[in-house]
Amino acid sequence: MNKAIQIYASGDHYHQVQETLPDLKELTQQVTGKSFRRIGRFIQLAMIGAARCTQLSVPKNTAVYLSSGRGDLELTVEIMTELFLRSQTPKPLAFVNTVSNAACFYVAQLLGLKSRSNYVCNLHFAFESVLQLAATDLLLGNTTSALVGSIDVVTQPVNDHRQRLKLASDTTVGEGSHWLWLGTSDISKPRLGDLIAAEHFNEKEPLIEWIRQQSPEKLALSFGQHVNTTDQGILRSLITHEQVFDYRVNRAYYDCHSGAAIGEFLRSDCLAQTLLHINADRDGRYSVMLVNR
Amino acid sequence: MNPCYFLGSALHTSLGSTLVAQVDALRRPPTPPGTVTVHYADKSQVLPYKLLADCDMEDAAQKLHSVVDKVIDTALESAQLTRSERRAAGLFVGTSSFDISSTEQEYRNDLQHNPAALLMRTHSSQGMLGDLLRRRHGLYGPDFSFNTACTASANALMYADAMIRSGRIQHALVMGIELHNSLTALGFHGLQLLTTSTMKPFDRSRNGLVLGEGCSALVLGPRKSSQHQWHLKGSANLCDTHSVSATNPDGSVVAEVIGAAVNHAALRPQDIAAIKVHGTASLLNDEAEAAGMKRVFSELPPLAAIKPFIGHTLGACGLNELLLFCAAADREFLIATPGIGNNAVEDGDTKLGVSLNQRTCEMLPGNFLMNYFGFGGNNTALVISNVRE
Repeated sequence: MNKAIQIYASGDHYHQVQETLPDLKELTQQVTGKSFRRIGRFIQLAMIGAARCTQLSVPKNTAVYLSSGRGDLELTVEIMTELFLRSQTPKPLAFVNTVSNAACFYVAQLLGLKSRSNYVCNLHFAFESVLQLAATDLLLGNTTSALVGSIDVVTQPVNDHRQRLKLASDTTVGEGSHWLWLGTSDISKPRLGDLIAAEHFNEKEPLIEWIRQQSPEKLALSFGQHVNTTDQGILRSLITHEQVFDYRVNRAYYDCHSGAAIGEFLRSDCLAQTLLHINADRDGRYSVMLVNR
Repeated sequence: MNPCYFLGSALHTSLGSTLVAQVDALRRPPTPPGTVTVHYADKSQVLPYKLLADCDMEDAAQKLHSVVDKVIDTALESAQLTRSERRAAGLFVGTSSFDISSTEQEYRNDLQHNPAALLMRTHSSQGMLGDLLRRRHGLYGPDFSFNTACTASANALMYADAMIRSGRIQHALVMGIELHNSLTALGFHGLQLLTTSTMKPFDRSRNGLVLGEGCSALVLGPRKSSQHQWHLKGSANLCDTHSVSATNPDGSVVAEVIGAAVNHAALRPQDIAAIKVHGTASLLNDEAEAAGMKRVFSELPPLAAIKPFIGHTLGACGLNELLLFCAAADREFLIATPGIGNNAVEDGDTKLGVSLNQRTCEMLPGNFLMNYFGFGGNNTALVISNVRE
């Protein structure tokens, strides 16, 4: 990247889910300072994470980039079940909120934003995808401030949720909302770090070549949940002074663990100054995020 | 940065499955919609719809994949990408409904045998359609599935272009996909936004929209021959927090997004030769769009509406309407909707103060504005051009 992309803040919400979903209404009100009616968990999680990241104060021209592996599953399941089991047609606001970018709308409204907003889903690289879009906009000068997030919700009954996600019946599941605030202009706020790269690789060889070109003295390595152990071994062998940063330890299953990696690293006492995060899909495509602090 | 060009395309709408058939239909006045019967549990509802022409498949999954695969194959063949170019290409899908039509069908079938059947048994991810298409067509670049309501495929095109210009990828396959499904049809019915007549954007008697099916594909990349002239010259996206379901009727945000796109294209408003309106034929949205355009243009260029012909194809309308507009322009005519949105007449909607093009007329190469506004406050404007550079 030619232009430096600064990371001003990160903010998250994560919890494990047992059999009953925790009520998020009170937490949403507590974190945002506002009361919202008739919004579901997906939008609540978006606002909680975005509010924690920004402390409710970002420039008005901040663009919002939101991602998810599965979108607002809770609302979709609720509406379709009502429709096909009980002949109840969608209520107007619930139907409008099925558009995934409704969460972007509520985040923009909460923070008083007037800029770009986009919602993208991706099966394996949800957070990485919107980070690439945000980086593209920042580097092309389409925006100077970007809020990048990913959301995953759980639906009840939790066992149905596990079946939908093709998870083993004893898998612990969770909900997550992970956000970064990035920018290219100097905002009077100490930055947490810099985004050095957010790149996609079609196959392993160019990724290996690219990693060899990165030579930070103290590099920590982290993996997304889709990198198999064989690949992890190969990729670890490329790094000198390597230290594994395991932000995923004890984390319940949800699609977008990658969303948590950068924020966890920037807040951690890890000795490394640089984090290389690598995720993969089943076809041998890779996505990397490289950050300095 | 050099522009990237439209190298190959294909689309299938209610007007036809070939470009020739669809352009021929655009020379004739738009026709009223047909109907579909939507079944849900023990009820059913007959709703207006513009379904795909030349497609009578009843199996939703088969229909989705057959239509989408054909459109992708045609676009990729016409773009003549090499094998390695295709392999490295990015995929940018714009849709509001993904593969929900086949999920609905699966659930309906399952419920017949098991009242406790699991909804979304096989497909629970919005990303699965993009992943499937990418694998079926040998694309290994990054893939993005945009779900921003009616701006989805316009945003997909905007970001495909940006990622090529930034050097992240060389080529992109942009898709607009929208097929009939019960959830969407009944959702719009519940909002009381549907009409059984032909859509009449900007008309005094406008009374709502007709949903349409459509699937389109566009390959973007560096120019391969002098035949390639169409390119995205500028774009803008802006979130309007006025309301989650409607654009601010004062037109302020519409004006801002149009102004930003024209500015991004390094043009002045007077450089725009024609506008493809969003034109949903709903009272407030047309009011907002008319007000917004009047704020930007001291003298409005000709306005063309495409939804009366193909219905509102929601997340796919960005690319469907753009490709139909380009196809007509390649044959040197501007699309007209005779008798619709004619406010230059005594009984027109003088409050709006804008009129749609009434007569198919000659159109020379130029810069053209494409408007798109969606639920969730998502507004996008594109400036496309076929001016030789």
